[in-house]
Amino acid sequence: MSFKEHLKSVISQFFVISSLINLAIFILGEIFRPDDKFGYEAFLAPLIYAAISLVPMLCMYSKKELTIKQHIFRELLQLISIEIILIFLGLGAKSLEPENFALTASFALSVFIIYVLVYVIAWLLDLNTARQINTDLKSFQSKISEESVSE
Amino acid sequence: MDVKISKIPESENELVDIRCHEETDCVREIADFVRSRQGQLSGILEGRQYAIAVSEILYIESVDNRTFIYTGSKVYESKQRIYELEDILKPKHFLRISKASLVNLMKISSVKPALGGRFSAVLSNGEEMIISRKYVADLKKTLKGEEI
Repeated sequence: MSFKEHLKSVISQFFVISSLINLAIFILGEIFRPDDKFGYEAFLAPLIYAAISLVPMLCMYSKKELTIKQHIFRELLQLISIEIILIFLGLGAKSLEPENFALTASFALSVFIIYVLVYVIAWLLDLNTARQINTDLKSFQSKISEESVSE
Repeated sequence: MDVKISKIPESENELVDIRCHEETDCVREIADFVRSRQGQLSGILEGRQYAIAVSEILYIESVDNRTFIYTGSKVYESKQRIYELEDILKPKHFLRISKASLVNLMKISSVKPALGGRFSAVLSNGEEMIISRKYVADLKKTLKGEEI
């Protein structure tokens, strides 16, 4: 994959991640801090968290075609880096408290779920593309077969 | 080497006759080119040279600067580079699907998503080949009959 294509994919993931972070903040907020009030700046939080979580993805770009093992290893490394970065960021911004383990664990779990969901959504989009390719492939093969029979 | 072209009557079979002192790589290249124009490729298997019908080929792969031709049951080595075969086989419905492989589009049973935004082509013998994301657009265009 060229860097341009990688960048395109990262940008589309940014919007998916932002929406999923919004949802995660809503769920975690309702459970752990239902009475908290925020200003307009709170709307920036999902965008900042999404942008930060994309940094490891950008850094781990490879021009080479990776094998499945290399790919899984890279994904795991990305997930661990994102978890560490976001937990430290949350602690630094006082959104997470070290003594509130349940909140920190739920936050880490949300990051994991969002990470998996991003891939599930991308896979569903690819599945749709594959369906379209298969339809075109069948028409292409029938057309070529008919042409070779008529020759 | 001189080149002589003679016109013959329609009733006679066309023939390319190479008269050489020795069967060098250059001579073999010329013979390979003629065969490829007629829907055949030359491949080496266990030290012997064979003519392979293009329609029998599933895919062609380049491994460590060597080119291999895969049919349903055999693997032949080719003297030609993958980019040379790509040029020759484009009109025969072969398409580059990764840096190192060419696939016969007529031998793909289906395409499915693979890990890392790539796709996987399932061939008629059940083998799976990775289609790099870079080549997906070319595949889509070719199947729709558009120029790439």
